[in-house]
Amino acid sequence: MATQICLMTPFDDGRAARHASEDSRALEDFMRGVERRALRMAEFATGNRDEALDLVQDAMFAFVRNYGSHSGAEWPPLFWRVLDSRLNDWHRRQRVRGRWWFRPGDASGDDDVLSAAPDLREPGPFGRMADGEASAALESALRDLPMRQRQAFLLRLWEGLDVADAATAMRCSEGSVKTHLSRALANLRRALEAHR
Amino acid sequence: MNQPHEGENWIERAQALLDESAENLDAATLSRLNRARQAALAQRRGLPRRWAWSAALAGAAVALFGVAVGLHHRFDAPGAPAAAPLQAGDIDYLTSDDDALDLYENLDFYAWLEKQGGDPRG
Repeated sequence: MATQICLMTPFDDGRAARHASEDSRALEDFMRGVERRALRMAEFATGNRDEALDLVQDAMFAFVRNYGSHSGAEWPPLFWRVLDSRLNDWHRRQRVRGRWWFRPGDASGDDDVLSAAPDLREPGPFGRMADGEASAALESALRDLPMRQRQAFLLRLWEGLDVADAATAMRCSEGSVKTHLSRALANLRRALEAHR
Repeated sequence: MNQPHEGENWIERAQALLDESAENLDAATLSRLNRARQAALAQRRGLPRRWAWSAALAGAAVALFGVAVGLHHRFDAPGAPAAAPLQAGDIDYLTSDDDALDLYENLDFYAWLEKQGGDPRG
């Protein structure tokens, strides 16, 4: 009896350790795949790389601790949800610390009226800007977007989440995601055209 | 990853520019991201250590059980001196005196001595 118990424990322990190792490898691959975009997303929100790195690190810790044991298919919306929560907290703290700071777009940009449908014959809001110029214009326009609009744009059109996953990540309804995205597109188009 | 949206070319260009900005991060930033990832994953690597602790505790419990069974058989063996029933005062004695350890370690001797009619405590 005692011998059987002694033989079973290392066997089970070894199998559990092997599974944990495989899960850890999959988790590391997933995190390596999203971390750069997560950093850029945090950087658009904070305007500061060091703060962005801190937020991403914090999100990584919370994600592994709370959701690391979930199945891999669930990871993308959960990771972005954790990061989105960190970005919201950061945004809230900034508002409390410096209410007198004016950041264009932070106030009530969600009330903007949708712009008209785009004319596909036009070269688009980037016009014929060179890549460097276009990149700077895009970053500036993204930073100036209200946070929810920026997140909807980045999660849906850059990260490629579907509406349901974006809604999970942003903790809002699917209808809200669509509304934020439409407004983000309208505001980005307007901002980029102003750069031309 | 990137999806065309509303057939607008400018969105595809924006996606490409964003991809490029993420790909071209400097080495120091990539190093910090790598360290952050490793530190976060280190939490998870703690799990097998917990399993090892559980296994060690289970092993210790099994060993203790084995010792207890062995002692039980030893004192129940034919010809072995029968142990006197434990009295309430014995518990106090075992837990309050340094001699208790001596008694415990030389239990066989004291049992034999008692059988000979001598006073185990001198």
